[in-house]
Amino acid sequence: MNKKKLYPMWFAALPLTLYIAFFLFPSLMGIFYSFTDWGSRTAVNGLHFVGLQNYFEIFTSHENYGQGIANTLRFTVISNIVKLVPALFLAIMLQEGLKGKGIYRTILYLPSILPFVIIGLIFRSVLNYQSGLLNAGLTAAGLGFLKQKWLSDLHVVWGSIFGVDAWRGIGYVMTIFLAGLNAIPHDYYEAAMIDGADFWQKLRYVTLPMMKGAVMINLVFGITYGLKVFDIVYVLTNGGPGHVTEVITTYSYQLYSSGRYGMSTALNTILLVITAAAGIAVVRVMSRRETEAA
Amino acid sequence: MKRNMLAVILSYVCAAALLSGCGSGGAANAPAGEAESGAPQTEAPAESAEEDAEVPAKEGGAGESAPADGVVIEAVANEGQFDGEELSILVSAGWMDSRYDAVIARFEETYGVTVDLQTIPADQYSDILQSDLANGTCPDVFWIQSNPFAISSVIVDPENYCIDFTGEAWEAVMPKARLSSCTSDGKLYGLQIWHNSPEYVMLYNKTLFEELGINKTPSTYEELKADCKIIAEAGITPWFMPGADGWQHQLAFFQIGGSYEAQQPGLYEALNSNKAVFAGNEGMLTVLKEFKELSDLGYFGEDWIGTDSTNMSNEFGDRTCAMAMANSSYIQQIKEDTGTGDEFGLFLIPLNDNDCYPTNPAGPTMFGYKSTPHEDLVRAFFTFLCTPESLQEILDNSPGYTNLDVNTVIEQHWLPEEEEFMASVDKAKMETPVLQTGTKYTNDYWMNFGADMVAYCQGTMEADEVLSNMDARRAEAAATADDPAWK
Repeated sequence: MNKKKLYPMWFAALPLTLYIAFFLFPSLMGIFYSFTDWGSRTAVNGLHFVGLQNYFEIFTSHENYGQGIANTLRFTVISNIVKLVPALFLAIMLQEGLKGKGIYRTILYLPSILPFVIIGLIFRSVLNYQSGLLNAGLTAAGLGFLKQKWLSDLHVVWGSIFGVDAWRGIGYVMTIFLAGLNAIPHDYYEAAMIDGADFWQKLRYVTLPMMKGAVMINLVFGITYGLKVFDIVYVLTNGGPGHVTEVITTYSYQLYSSGRYGMSTALNTILLVITAAAGIAVVRVMSRRETEAA
Repeated sequence: MKRNMLAVILSYVCAAALLSGCGSGGAANAPAGEAESGAPQTEAPAESAEEDAEVPAKEGGAGESAPADGVVIEAVANEGQFDGEELSILVSAGWMDSRYDAVIARFEETYGVTVDLQTIPADQYSDILQSDLANGTCPDVFWIQSNPFAISSVIVDPENYCIDFTGEAWEAVMPKARLSSCTSDGKLYGLQIWHNSPEYVMLYNKTLFEELGINKTPSTYEELKADCKIIAEAGITPWFMPGADGWQHQLAFFQIGGSYEAQQPGLYEALNSNKAVFAGNEGMLTVLKEFKELSDLGYFGEDWIGTDSTNMSNEFGDRTCAMAMANSSYIQQIKEDTGTGDEFGLFLIPLNDNDCYPTNPAGPTMFGYKSTPHEDLVRAFFTFLCTPESLQEILDNSPGYTNLDVNTVIEQHWLPEEEEFMASVDKAKMETPVLQTGTKYTNDYWMNFGADMVAYCQGTMEADEVLSNMDARRAEAAATADDPAWK
């Protein structure tokens, strides 16, 4: 026994058992079911192994699941960009001695704690073409030409989703950045100032390198959130208009609702693979950079 | 007929009217005044009542086979037979409510029993019922939201779970369209007592129409389009279409299922036996194209895809819209919500030049649990519910209903607008059920079809693709259900 260890290994037994029983085992069962015809009639018809049939169907079906996968990936990339960049600058602004910054932080963080259903109700109303606050505001400001069918125009609807998602998520991302900024010793900035560094140089050579941890956390959270996005799409458009904003999870939800559990788990398994691959890649890249920097 | 029950059934059936008056429709689909006119009732012995009870199932629909003066069921209680027994009923909230309270109280008093009503919140009901059936702990009576295919899809194994009521006299109380939701493999399992108010037909502002010089409601697509043009030129949205709800706009396609059947007789049967498909169907393609044309012309409003129904009654009250698909009861809601003095009316959805009434046999239906120790009491209860007195009591205690769709003469409470509308519809056009409940696996994909319709209207999908998608989904559902017709 290694006496340097504070706790014996069996301390891990209980959490490990719970983890295996309630997380790992169900996940593996889900993967298993994706190779079966599990459905609402299984109790009567029995469960049958169908090999890769569900996966084959996903990529050949009339439902255009491929578009759903592409939309999911697109959402993941763009939603992270529209949240991370503004959140970083907001965090820096609030860190730099802005008056009343506590109030601003609270205001910016508040949307993060609102349930998606409430956000959906609010923004479906705000973005309504006829009676919505946004179009009414634009008209009142003499900008009526900017009025849009925010949730029903094919070319605008994704922008609306990204906007609402950013409104909700920026505060949360910003809070993590603020924690990262607080951890940077002030001496570094003083040294940079003595060397004559301007704002951008301080950002480039001090802030960003020291914020890698916070960036990595936000990226991992953002990517996993983006890949499994459901709520914001469901409450705002439910995959519409038509099927323009369908993502993997909305399709999965539809399949489950129609009793095709096997197909639904196959789609979720694809999502699991993509999420795992993306998560591992991000962590590896960031870890490598940290090692190189060290 | 030998039964272990004390209730003796006597049925009074007017045989002459049954045979001769069948062409003009029954009480179920006719306004009260019309239903009450007819030949006087003739008493029939219990034995022959069973034969009569089978007639609607064999011969015709709600309109065709129902006797003009109605079927009368009588329940007679033998003293003491059920004393002290308890009848348990499992029901989802909203299906019985207070409308059954008086009937149940009278049943308890008549038979000396108690009724244990187990009302479950709607979102939990299905799970609890399935669990009870699987575990063998189901109450004596249970309900499902039935349609012609629900017994096999929801109950799955009616032979094992349901009391076979075949031959019960009260079968004749239900119109044929409703019977289709209560039978499986030729056996009667369920009892459906539900209303038949016009559902999702065209509701229009009659006063506004007259002011705009439209003195006749449109009965063809071209007439509809012409009227829409007049209304739109007056700066009013002709047809309020709440596309953002996701479930309303496709009613324009499905509620006129009778017109597809009329164009291609036998279509429903062929669709249900996998000998026909939606794709390429001329009538359906026509409707989709007409719908898109109205959308492109702006007759559904500037942004119907992004508009929901929240403000619909106000739109009517403010006269910013002239028509919408709605239930007849919505007229009252508009008047209550807005206080408008305008008059409203109803007409059939005229896409595809439709002249068929949207008969919908779906509705909450009660079944007897096969393993119950109180089978005779269950049978007595069902019979009791079908007596004219009970039916009248149920209707009178249902403020939301104006009628009950039964072949028994009771005092219906049709609204004047409903009476006018029902009188305008040929009874022969009431037989075909709406497409979504008249064909297998169609209703399951209601929302998907609606999304496809929007995609078609926005130009990202072709009309025939919308239909072929429905075929593909129905095939998937059939495969899940292990339907032999799709093998």
